[in-house]
Amino acid sequence: MDILQILVNGIVLGALYACIAVGFSLVWGVLNVINMLHGSFIILGGYLTFFAWFYLGLNPILVLPAVALVLYLLGFALQYLFINKVVTAPVLTTLTLTFGLDMILYNLMTVYFTATPRRVTLDLGIVEFLGVVTPVDRLLGMGLALLLTALLYLVMRGSTIGRAIVAVRMDRQAAALMGIRVNRIYAITFGIGALMAGAAGAVFAMVFPVTTNLTGVFLGKAFVICVIGGLGSVPGALVGGLALGVIESFAGFLLGPQHAITVGFVLMLILLVVRPTGLVGVKGYE
Amino acid sequence: MGGDGTSTKLSGPAVLSRKPLAYAALALWVGLLAATPLLGDNYTVRIAITIAMFTAMALSWNFIGGFTGYPSFSTAAFFGIGCYVGALAQRNGIPLVVAWTLATLAVALFAAALGLIILRLKGHYFAIGSIAVVEVVRLIVSSWGSVTGGGDGLNVPLLQGGPEAVSAIVLYVMLAIMLAAFGATVLVDRGRLGFGLRCINQNEDAADMVGIDTTRYKIAAYSLSALFCGTVGAVYASWVGYIDPTDSFSILLTVKVPVMALLGGAGTVFGPIVGTGVFVLLEEFFWANFLEWNRAILGGIIVFLIFFLPGGILRLDYRRLWRDLLARRARQRSAEAAE
Amino acid sequence: MLGKSWKSAVAATAAAGLVSSAAAVSALAAEEVLRIGAPLALTGGLADEGKKQEAVWQLWLDKVNADGGVEVGGRTMKVEFVQYDYQTDGKRAGQLAEKLITDDEVDVLMAPFGSGHTKIVAAVAERYQVPLIACVASSVSVYDQGFQYLFGTLAPNTGMTESMTAYFKEKMPELRSVAVYGRDDVFPKAMASALADSAKSAGLEVTYNELYAVGTMDHSAAMSAIKAAEPDWVYMTGYTQDLILGRKQMQDLGVEAPIITMVTGPAYREFTEGLGELADGVTSSTWWHHATAYEGAVGPWETTAAFYADFLEAFGTDPDYVHGSCAAAADVLVNAVQTAGSTDKQAVRDALAATEILTFYGPIDFGENGMNQGREMPIIQVHGEEIKVLYPAAIADADLKMID
Repeated sequence: MDILQILVNGIVLGALYACIAVGFSLVWGVLNVINMLHGSFIILGGYLTFFAWFYLGLNPILVLPAVALVLYLLGFALQYLFINKVVTAPVLTTLTLTFGLDMILYNLMTVYFTATPRRVTLDLGIVEFLGVVTPVDRLLGMGLALLLTALLYLVMRGSTIGRAIVAVRMDRQAAALMGIRVNRIYAITFGIGALMAGAAGAVFAMVFPVTTNLTGVFLGKAFVICVIGGLGSVPGALVGGLALGVIESFAGFLLGPQHAITVGFVLMLILLVVRPTGLVGVKGYE
Repeated sequence: MGGDGTSTKLSGPAVLSRKPLAYAALALWVGLLAATPLLGDNYTVRIAITIAMFTAMALSWNFIGGFTGYPSFSTAAFFGIGCYVGALAQRNGIPLVVAWTLATLAVALFAAALGLIILRLKGHYFAIGSIAVVEVVRLIVSSWGSVTGGGDGLNVPLLQGGPEAVSAIVLYVMLAIMLAAFGATVLVDRGRLGFGLRCINQNEDAADMVGIDTTRYKIAAYSLSALFCGTVGAVYASWVGYIDPTDSFSILLTVKVPVMALLGGAGTVFGPIVGTGVFVLLEEFFWANFLEWNRAILGGIIVFLIFFLPGGILRLDYRRLWRDLLARRARQRSAEAAE
Repeated sequence: MLGKSWKSAVAATAAAGLVSSAAAVSALAAEEVLRIGAPLALTGGLADEGKKQEAVWQLWLDKVNADGGVEVGGRTMKVEFVQYDYQTDGKRAGQLAEKLITDDEVDVLMAPFGSGHTKIVAAVAERYQVPLIACVASSVSVYDQGFQYLFGTLAPNTGMTESMTAYFKEKMPELRSVAVYGRDDVFPKAMASALADSAKSAGLEVTYNELYAVGTMDHSAAMSAIKAAEPDWVYMTGYTQDLILGRKQMQDLGVEAPIITMVTGPAYREFTEGLGELADGVTSSTWWHHATAYEGAVGPWETTAAFYADFLEAFGTDPDYVHGSCAAAADVLVNAVQTAGSTDKQAVRDALAATEILTFYGPIDFGENGMNQGREMPIIQVHGEEIKVLYPAAIADADLKMID
């Protein structure tokens, strides 16, 4: 059995995982909100991509920006109208609120999209290198995932909005005094979180079946990745995603696929206690 | 009362004077639930059982989530382990009541051990950790097929007797658990433990400094929050006759129970009881009327609750109305003075 | 869709809290009506399957009531379905079964989709001694609890795996090894272990035999391991979403087996839609296929073809085994009521136990444990856009083709 193959499987999957988690991590880091809607956002992005491809014949990569925009607007609106009102409340309140909103979104999706698994059947074949096979669509997905993550990183570091978000994260009151409209920044941040989820969904529609049954699975992955990688930083989500991908890949091979996801969760619990800052502990969000 | 009535201790004269009333209302409520086998059909009894079951769990959650202020989402883990320990014990020939007791103890021990580890976490990390516990236990139970039956689930010996008798037995057992949980709540509320937990809720570091052994207190609260859930799980398993990992460790359950407590008023003695009753009846109503949209409506209730009843039903009565009344009176008075 | 059977009285009862009255219901029961209760998963994870049950029963009901009802002992009885959504939540399923029995006073129950939830409903039905027909539960573990009121129209899994192994060995004499990969859930797990056993006793080498946990999102590790094992045959079980991903990843990671079987993937239209060209050549076993041609059946459809025609007209797609089995379950039920001459629960149960009839779906004869006796179950294969039947020979319309 080829160790290299397992490693490559893990890395490719890990890049996709990073894409799941980065938006979730941003929202958690800046707003201090555990966004239970995140899994449904990803699936919604996946469905929109699928329908655009299925009915309009549009290539998922072309649709991606549009889907991301729709999700951004949705996220912005939800934060502006609802979550902002309780954003300073304890975690119990914000978590419960996003869970309630998620139940509504989930219900809407099952009624209008049904739970039928859908997939963009854009099978692009495989590439073989040194005896390692990798599907092209996953490589493409990995490339997009890395690109999106890098883009977010640059926006956070370089743009005015990005600096404002970081400022709000570091000191909400001080930022407000500096003339930053904190609520607007929150809504933008949540919007960006949703945008990243939507983009991830668009990428995933090419690789995974899209069904509302998976919302919980995606959310669970986001939890694990954030804790493993360390909360509130783009590099943290990337490291966490790659680590989880590789760990699951090897655990699946060594212990059997039945235990692969258990290992991820157990590792997360251990890290939570031993090193809550994760593998890449960063104070500010950048 | 310090003027505006915002003090956190629920010991103002208004509260005290209403307490006998509250106890009377509780007695009436329990009496009504207990009388359902005589008054209604078995479906009604089933609703009563559901209410008793969730009330016991919401009261349990209240120890850690309400009094102590730790956002725990591990209720489903406790419930599920209770289901499995009870079921496995029964399948191995252990008598019913002993099996239930065993499940209770096992879950309490599990919570104490787990608490030692995860109660070091705070806020969001604790919330995530407690949810992860549910998922980890589910995964372990389902992959440990040789003992737990894995994804196949477990058949549990059915309770003997006709449907009416079985329902009645389950109802009285669940009511007993609910009352036990309530008794524990009252004791904790009045005792040192409750005081200590409230201190931790207000400011953990300060509590530590004034000599409260915060670790022990928190573990006590966490174990209490698990104990009754374990019993409820074991009884539930005997009642339904079949359990599997997906239903025993459901994320929905783990969020629903805190919502019930919040609805009534977290950290109060009667809040979880009121909240659960209202929640279950609302759920029944919406679910019967809006077949396809019940999940969304449930979500809507949660959103409504967060915005309009942030302190729960009980707190709403006590404070806001009182304050509004005072404010109005004050305004009137100042208006009169101005004239 | 639920129109006729839906009672708003239920709501009032629940809202009134704990004092409900059964009076409103018994007034209805005074007419000669056969009331069938069904908890269904209309939302949640099993929503697609639940909706199939709902749809085919509506078709069945319209057909039966268009003829004025069913003849029981010289009288005509209307048939009514009372359905509720249990949201794919086991606790709710049990609760609803109880509601149907006590509140809606149904005469018989139909079990929801899947072995797990059938078990929960069966426990309730047994306690109340209400006959329960399970049309989509095939794991023996559902039926081996000594329940007296539970009957199932699907035949045991083991029959399926044995005939499949034998068929493939016959068609491909050089078949040596098989890789088995199953979802850790009641039915998929049972099928996977049954196949591994059948393969072993048929002299095949089982080179890979693993389960994957519910909530697995990716199968890379397993597929790489399977590729290394180089089996002649890959047998994977799971829900449609798992199988779509599994098949895709076999392709992605270069698993090259001439036979790929996915249970129960190709039995569902969603599977072929989600996979496109990759579905081509995938085999599966199923309990029923519309190509079977039974004639002289009881119930509203005398032949399989008649059912197929009606179904096609109503829904525009092919029925799968869920549709077939569930419609047949309703036929079996009516037949038992007719034999019993009333809706008396004990009499209906005894009539069910003695059932030996032919439906459009095939013969029904419940064994000792309440399961339909084994019979030849079809093996199917995706050929292009179509589903072809390979086995049994009597209804086969294609030959096994290898995946290249």
